[in-house]
Amino acid sequence: MVDVLQQVVNGVAIASVIALVAIGITVIFGLTGIVNFAHGEFLVVGGFLTWWLALQGVPYAAAVVVCALAVGALGVGLERGLWRFTLKAPINGFIISLGLSIVLQHAVIKIWNPSATPVSIQSPVSGEIRLGDLVISNVRIMVIVLTAAVLGATFWAVERTRHGRALRAIAEDRDTAALMGIPVRRYITAVFGIGSLLAGLGGALLLALFPISPFSGQSFVIKGFAVALIGGLGNITGAVIAALMLGLAEAFSAGYLAPQWTGAYAFILMIAILLFRPQGILRGTEGSRVT
Amino acid sequence: MSPEDRAAGAVAAHREASPGAPEDVSASSQTRTVERRDRALTIACVVAFLALLALLPLWTPTNRILTLAVTACISGIAVYGLDLLYGQIGILSLAHAALQGIGAYTAAIALRDLDVSFWLALPLSAAVAAVVAALLGYPAARVRGHHFVILTFAFGEFIRIALNNGGEFTGGAEGVLVLAGIPPVLGWNPSGVAGLSSGADYYYLAFGLLVVAIIASRLVIGSPFGRTCRAIRENEELARASGIDATRYKVLLFMVSGLFAGVAGVLYAYFLGHISPNEFGVLASVQLVLMLLIGGSRVLFGPLLGVALVIFLPEIIRADPVSVQIVYGAGLIAVILLVPAGLAPGLLALWRRSRGWRTES
Repeated sequence: MVDVLQQVVNGVAIASVIALVAIGITVIFGLTGIVNFAHGEFLVVGGFLTWWLALQGVPYAAAVVVCALAVGALGVGLERGLWRFTLKAPINGFIISLGLSIVLQHAVIKIWNPSATPVSIQSPVSGEIRLGDLVISNVRIMVIVLTAAVLGATFWAVERTRHGRALRAIAEDRDTAALMGIPVRRYITAVFGIGSLLAGLGGALLLALFPISPFSGQSFVIKGFAVALIGGLGNITGAVIAALMLGLAEAFSAGYLAPQWTGAYAFILMIAILLFRPQGILRGTEGSRVT
Repeated sequence: MSPEDRAAGAVAAHREASPGAPEDVSASSQTRTVERRDRALTIACVVAFLALLALLPLWTPTNRILTLAVTACISGIAVYGLDLLYGQIGILSLAHAALQGIGAYTAAIALRDLDVSFWLALPLSAAVAAVVAALLGYPAARVRGHHFVILTFAFGEFIRIALNNGGEFTGGAEGVLVLAGIPPVLGWNPSGVAGLSSGADYYYLAFGLLVVAIIASRLVIGSPFGRTCRAIRENEELARASGIDATRYKVLLFMVSGLFAGVAGVLYAYFLGHISPNEFGVLASVQLVLMLLIGGSRVLFGPLLGVALVIFLPEIIRADPVSVQIVYGAGLIAVILLVPAGLAPGLLALWRRSRGWRTES
């Protein structure tokens, strides 16, 4: 029983990072129809930036804030400079993201990591909590609590504020929303910014848990898309639920079943969902069609 | 004429009625002249380029150049398969390197366990890759467009993981050795164990198969099957409403492009003499997509140009591999933003304008 609870905690910690990546993927898709394969690289850039700041002696908390903001700014810049021109043809946005993921991945290698090996930092929070036989390290608690807080704030913003309402209107029908006087382009820029900010935060948190390599982005972008698809593309709640499912599945598989197949679960879940319920477990937006 | 042919005709007619459609063919004689000139120009380009490639070994190039040339031919075969899929029915696959891997592993394992030779492995691997493509294509094509590319992405990773975990059968992360020459055919001996020990013969083999692949892809495009695929690309709703089973056509075309990937895989395995799972990951697939889109789809010359550029670029700019990757990525972004159709169509338009030909009908 204790063992099971242990795996649950591990699973939720992994799910936190996956959810932070998936939200950006799902919202960007819902709004623009762009399948953004570069989103995982935002996580890698965030992780390496945090690692580099930590090496310079910056305290972890400050590094997390700086890196989330910096990656958010990167997202805004890329939207303004690149994706803005592909809003009419989302397929081109997807192709640009392919090129961009190569560029970012290798820029990270070039700048920070010539040997392309995984890097890690000392755990920013030491100690652990003991509940009977159950041992939970404080780092995992920090990751889970921080993510929960950020996700809570995101939900509140989307569901309760007028900006959130505007976003939902754009996702529903971009042209009509524009006719109602919503500055659609500004919202799209903002969503790219917030999405990449969350991914950057995810990278910083991931670094606190595991070593991170320049190629980590690829596996997380697959998981992010799996989760976004399973939850229904464009649906934040669905993405969070699906992230929890995937995180738990991976943790239990690593703990009990076949650890070498862990990477394949996202794919198997995805196939199963798409075959039996193509719209995802919760309803997603149809989005603009990408071929 | 089958009902599906008629339906494809109806969709084509609809497309012709809507001005500004990508392949708007009006009946004016001027358009025909432009078309004929285009076709002649393209064919001349390809023939000249192929002739150049065929003569390559006569310049006694260094081994490195010849190795790159063989790699270009192998990638070219896979990219012409990808071009069929993207150009004709409009779906993009990020699993093509994985399908190539299936072909390579089929050849390697068939050689190891059953002593199947190169010439038999060629059709066998192509068939196995096509079957695997069908297994993936069916669930992927059932859902809407954007899901397809995401699923192929995940599928490519899945194959890589599966090959890594295949134990004795696939050799795990170590991979499989392919230490056999190619049996002589009609007195010609293109032996190619681990590189180009026998000079240019392996190059001619790969080059010959590339030419076959190009011709095969044109035959598919010219067939009624290709016509129906284009109808689906232009307007899937209308095609479905006209009685075309779009899902079936997507899966079939994906299988056809899987054949190309399978053949490329066999050549790859025999050329390198050793294969391992990580050579067929998503990065390799992205590389194939990059070649196709930089060169330009739907144009005979496009894939060839893209492959040549991507493969020979490191030779031209002489930078470290990491910088080369950055240049590739940035190049792809630049091409998509500046000439979304790709370089070959862009050059064609430029040439036409310089000759004062009308570019729009």
